[in-house]
Amino acid sequence: MVAAGLLRERDTPPEMEVTLGSMIEIGRLSKTFDTARRTSHLALSDITLDVADGEFVSILGPSGCGKSTLLYIVGGFVSPSGGILKVKGAPVTGPGPDRGPVFQEFALFPWKTVLGNVMYGLVEQGRPRAEAEARARELIDLVHLKGYENFYPKELSGGMKQRVAIARTLAYRPSILLMDEPFGALDAHTRTGMQHELLEIWERDRKTVLFVTHSVEEAVFLSDRVVVLTRSPGRIKTIIDIKLPRPRRRAELLLNKRYQEYVVEIEKLMDNPGADE
Amino acid sequence: MTRLSAIPGLPPLVACAGLLAVWELAARAYGISGLPPAHEALRELPAILTDKESLYNILASMKRMAVGFALALAFAIPAGLMMGRSRWVAAFFNPLLMIIYPVPKAALMPIIMLWLGVGDASKTLVIFLGVSLPVIYHSYQGARAVEEKMLWSAAAMGMGSRARLLRIVLPAALPEIMVGIRTGLVLALITMVTSEMIARKEGVGDILFNALAMAQYETVYATIIIIGALGFIIDAAFESLRRHLVAWSDPVHEIAVVGST
Repeated sequence: MVAAGLLRERDTPPEMEVTLGSMIEIGRLSKTFDTARRTSHLALSDITLDVADGEFVSILGPSGCGKSTLLYIVGGFVSPSGGILKVKGAPVTGPGPDRGPVFQEFALFPWKTVLGNVMYGLVEQGRPRAEAEARARELIDLVHLKGYENFYPKELSGGMKQRVAIARTLAYRPSILLMDEPFGALDAHTRTGMQHELLEIWERDRKTVLFVTHSVEEAVFLSDRVVVLTRSPGRIKTIIDIKLPRPRRRAELLLNKRYQEYVVEIEKLMDNPGADE
Repeated sequence: MTRLSAIPGLPPLVACAGLLAVWELAARAYGISGLPPAHEALRELPAILTDKESLYNILASMKRMAVGFALALAFAIPAGLMMGRSRWVAAFFNPLLMIIYPVPKAALMPIIMLWLGVGDASKTLVIFLGVSLPVIYHSYQGARAVEEKMLWSAAAMGMGSRARLLRIVLPAALPEIMVGIRTGLVLALITMVTSEMIARKEGVGDILFNALAMAQYETVYATIIIIGALGFIIDAAFESLRRHLVAWSDPVHEIAVVGST
């Protein structure tokens, strides 16, 4: 009911969505995968989306809708089959340190300690070791891992590994964080804690975040806007502005009427079982 | 019993003593000239190990083994890693690998001798081949299994593809590479002996087969004990190095020595 006024329909002309302050510009982007049987599979179709500098945007959709693929394309890890993709006005040709990924699988370097992992990007970019180490220690502190500097990834829990991964990416100061279901492998309790920590970090320096998830609550809790994709091929079904006050606290939001309405409305859009009254 | 087996080094000692006891008893019971009692073979050991010529032979063997082994690592690790990261390289080399792997390397020895003679070159080449295959295979498997997302994370930091191969793929595949190297070490020892058995000029294998030809069975068995001990020491030393180098990794599957001589 309430959502009618909040929904921004997909058929808004793309030109109208392009603003000067946009960090990521995606125009009519598509991705086709070649499958083993010489048929091609259309994973993403006609994606047009603009993400403003400092905006927190979640991409939500059923599994297999290509939401992670969209993120990988923005990261430059996968090339699109068609359409336009610009970051800070420049076309994307490959990965770069302006876009820092955080993956569900953590993807830490297992032969490096926590400190070694967090320092890695800075050392790789030719910063002096002392400076890299100081910055890494600062970030390890930020993600509450002080005391674990010399631990190897295999000695850490899932939540701790993801904290290391986030610190490792933040260390080289990307303008955009690309988060691919970063809390998907964590238990519910750890997940809630990590969502709070992420928001705390985000409130500090307001990086642009593109956040892929299949959890409606997570998307609503974290985002300024939620992009809902359709099932295969992934098309933008709706983009919803989340007009909830910040800083957000989970305990307050759970009681917040608008939060609840957003969640129910999006659940319905996604045809989640039990969403209908 | 459980407390006794907890003492490190005791179970293998008991196993060795048991083997020697069975040997001794079998030799006494059957009295075949080709099976001298264990104590007679053991008595030969100091003689061989203090004999200048024997020591020279053992050292010459070890030198060839070291050279063949080192060359094999220098070739096989980069080759395997590249196969693991490039579909094209893998498609080209994989069939060759599959054909060469099961061929007993010692069977190639007579042909190689036609090209390179009976000297060090032929034997070193056979050792090189024996070591290369398991190392290529495991490096290939290790590089193939490197998580894509790990490479993407590195790419996002600005690392190019060569830097990633050297500093991401190599360390990430190291536990698996070490499995290949351990297999390679055992094969190096085996091919070392078999190459000398075919090209009889010098070396541990030559001592063994000369003694056999002259029916000096005590020496034959003593040499076999020396070869076995060498293998044991090399493997134990490598294993401790391996544990140290890949202490960060989860234990890799138990190492099975599969290969052909």
